[in-house]
Amino acid sequence: MTTIDVTIVNRGGELARVAGLLDRLGAEHHLAPEMLADLQVALDEVLTNITEYAYTDKAEHEIHIRFEVLDNVLEAVIEDDGAPFNPLAIPGPDISKPLHERRVGGVGVHFVRSLMDEVAYDRAGERNRLVLRKRFKT
Amino acid sequence: MDLREEKVGGVTVVEVKGRVDSTTAPALGERLTASLEAPKVRVLLDLSRLEYISSAGFRILLLAAKRADEAGSRLVLCGVSGKVRQLFDLGGFLDLFTIVGSRDEGIAAAG
Repeated sequence: MTTIDVTIVNRGGELARVAGLLDRLGAEHHLAPEMLADLQVALDEVLTNITEYAYTDKAEHEIHIRFEVLDNVLEAVIEDDGAPFNPLAIPGPDISKPLHERRVGGVGVHFVRSLMDEVAYDRAGERNRLVLRKRFKT
Repeated sequence: MDLREEKVGGVTVVEVKGRVDSTTAPALGERLTASLEAPKVRVLLDLSRLEYISSAGFRILLLAAKRADEAGSRLVLCGVSGKVRQLFDLGGFLDLFTIVGSRDEGIAAAG
């Protein structure tokens, strides 16, 4: 199996299930733990942002995630119908401030951009589509 | 994530094993809140068996460090290496915490 599709709803408890599926794909393809960890962190940031900030109503929304192992790339595609959010357009965090002034805001998106080899965003109709790619180390 | 806590001398050592992400960070937060509840305590957080930590976990660590500061307590981190160190570095967190190499050094630094 080189592809896993999973649909979750915008509730916090769902993220463990997604992490478990990514682990399974990683084990089947003998992917390097380091590479998997990078995608797990990026995915946690992206899905947390969606569940916490993408929706202004109280309704349940579906988030689709597709993992795929390609030739030399591990890819995750995340689609949601929340408010438009382009993580590539967010400024980086101010990491120069001392402890009592530091906020974690912005660090999550910074992790996503730094840990992934490629990040692509597009808004198609009412949907956000974010593609995360991590290349295999040779 | 698994948490193991033990007392070494007057230092509470909390070992974090596995992953700290948005799912597991709340449990780490509860543990650190409990460990830092009394004033002027000494807590060593051993991260040598931590696989990775996302921003949800860093939020918890920042809160704990601020709480320790305000209560005159001491929070020291050890075993920050590999992937975990890279994440601390990327987020600009290395300078915000007291970080030492080994658990023994941490007990000495916290005590």
